[in-house]
Amino acid sequence: MIKIKKSDFSTFITNLQKNYSVFAPVTDGKATAFKKIKSAEDINNKVLNTKRSPKEIFFPQSEVLFQYTEEGIKVPKREEKPFAIWGMRNCDTKSLLLLDKVFGEAHQMPKKDMYKDPYWKEKYDNCLVFNLACNKPLSTCFCNWFDGGPFNNTGSDIFVIENDENYIFEAVSDKGKKFLKEFKTAEQVSDKEIKKIEKLKETAESYLAEKEDISSLFSKTKEIWDETIWDEIAAKCINCGACAFVCPTCHCFDVSDEGKGKKGKRIRLWDSCMFAIFTKEASGHNPRSQSLQRVRQRVMHKYNYFMDNYDEHLCTGCGRCVVVCPVNLDIREVIKKIIRY
Amino acid sequence: MKYEYNKEPELYTPIMMRVISKRDLTPDVRFFQLVPKEEFKHLDMDYKPGQFMMLSLFGTGEAPFSISSSPTRKGIFEFAIRETGKLTNKIFELKDGDMLGLRGPFGNGFPIERMLGKDIIIVAGGLGAAPLRSLLLYIMDNRELFGRLIYLYGAKNVDDMLYKPDFVEMLDSEQIELFLTVDKGNEGYEDSIEEGKVTHLFKYVNDIDPANTIACVCGPPGMYKFVVTEILKYNLEKDKILLNLERRMKCGCGKCGHCIIDYRYTCIDGPVFTYWDVIHMRELI
Repeated sequence: MIKIKKSDFSTFITNLQKNYSVFAPVTDGKATAFKKIKSAEDINNKVLNTKRSPKEIFFPQSEVLFQYTEEGIKVPKREEKPFAIWGMRNCDTKSLLLLDKVFGEAHQMPKKDMYKDPYWKEKYDNCLVFNLACNKPLSTCFCNWFDGGPFNNTGSDIFVIENDENYIFEAVSDKGKKFLKEFKTAEQVSDKEIKKIEKLKETAESYLAEKEDISSLFSKTKEIWDETIWDEIAAKCINCGACAFVCPTCHCFDVSDEGKGKKGKRIRLWDSCMFAIFTKEASGHNPRSQSLQRVRQRVMHKYNYFMDNYDEHLCTGCGRCVVVCPVNLDIREVIKKIIRY
Repeated sequence: MKYEYNKEPELYTPIMMRVISKRDLTPDVRFFQLVPKEEFKHLDMDYKPGQFMMLSLFGTGEAPFSISSSPTRKGIFEFAIRETGKLTNKIFELKDGDMLGLRGPFGNGFPIERMLGKDIIIVAGGLGAAPLRSLLLYIMDNRELFGRLIYLYGAKNVDDMLYKPDFVEMLDSEQIELFLTVDKGNEGYEDSIEEGKVTHLFKYVNDIDPANTIACVCGPPGMYKFVVTEILKYNLEKDKILLNLERRMKCGCGKCGHCIIDYRYTCIDGPVFTYWDVIHMRELI
């Protein structure tokens, strides 16, 4: 482990910018999001969960797939400079691993390479992720339910712990190891400081609500598919889709053309299974025309279907949907209700 | 953002196809023949009956369409398209020589290897005859590789029957046991087309060996339940009844989430599902 003084943070970022485009949490009016920064002053290290999740760096809300012209198709030119993301939390770094199963790997396909998403791949392979530990998790955080935690580092390259005076760095991936090896100006961390980290971790974990045992969630969701519990769960939902838009693991998209005449762009945009026309076919047939079916689809995809395919839940417990829901439909309550049904 | 010309097609970038001919099959279904533009002719575009492709017109959009042609007749891609929305309205305006984007093939298609040597029952309803034409032509072109071929086709009325002249001509063929019906009004075709739902044609389907038979069904969503009930009467195993289903799709490659049913994607694990899948996957039909 190595460290830098907090007073040197600005220099650290400036040096990082020499080789990387740097993304970090910034405050824009009342909202917080991960944006490409100009200097260290833009960074807000206080915010835990940015309002918009950092998935948009890899999978933007609207992304140009290609331009069409009379001469042919032009694809966006690949960014050559790698990029670094500073200040991601464990719930978000873990979401990258889950999204990579959808976009990066092929879904159990024989011709695997054919099904890799090129737009996701080039960004995901080209980035360095700094995972900042959460010293004081929020009341809406429930990462511990899904084997995450304020001091976990799954899915990141470099784990960063903030104490009163320093930022302490620990390599997680090979990419991270290589980076820290070349990082000459940092100091070594003393044993005394390492012991203190343990203390910080304990304090952080004490802020989290009690861990719910979700080991039965998968089998339970399978059993209750036809039950009336869904009426109770869906009664409040207004199908606004806000939960899906702030979710770091939701990845459904729509494809649309924008332009005039023979010149324009084909773009993909975030979509949500909460919307009524999401499954409407050209013939008019709609397999999920009712609100209840759509709420069930979202919950089932997160806690059952994805598990079926990849042995993991499609949720990291970031709590953004709990914060943003306009009718207070708390996903933690939904999970508890299902487990106890 | 900077852009560069695309050399090889990628997952979301279509190749360009030229319309070489078109004709009306019914008042709202048109048959299109497409060939790849010169620079894409070298690509391996082999496909299986039952697979689909994403067709697109720049500025209007993209949607999945079943392939109507058979891979045994290489070079030309055929689609039977119903005029039903914004994209298909524009496709109907295409003239010979016009261009159209194409991605694919996608989906699993019919499991031909499993079907070799077997007796095949095909049941089509309405526009379901479009994807099943690919299978029909495939079997006709490899007739010695399959056993009996029984084809039941039901449409709303004689005007809405796809490939009607072809089917009527085929009625005399010894290669196929073909039966046609329309819901109402068979005027002018009393000798060749019956009146009634497609299920009523099963009275002509006799001496079925359930161990050696595979049934393939495609039609409107409401049809499956009734047709499957009839097929089950022949004691066919549930995984020998194959259904070619429809879902809204945007990507065709298991990413966009529109066609998810249970833990599977219609675009990858389908669109051909077995009746066993239907029982175990909720919301499938």
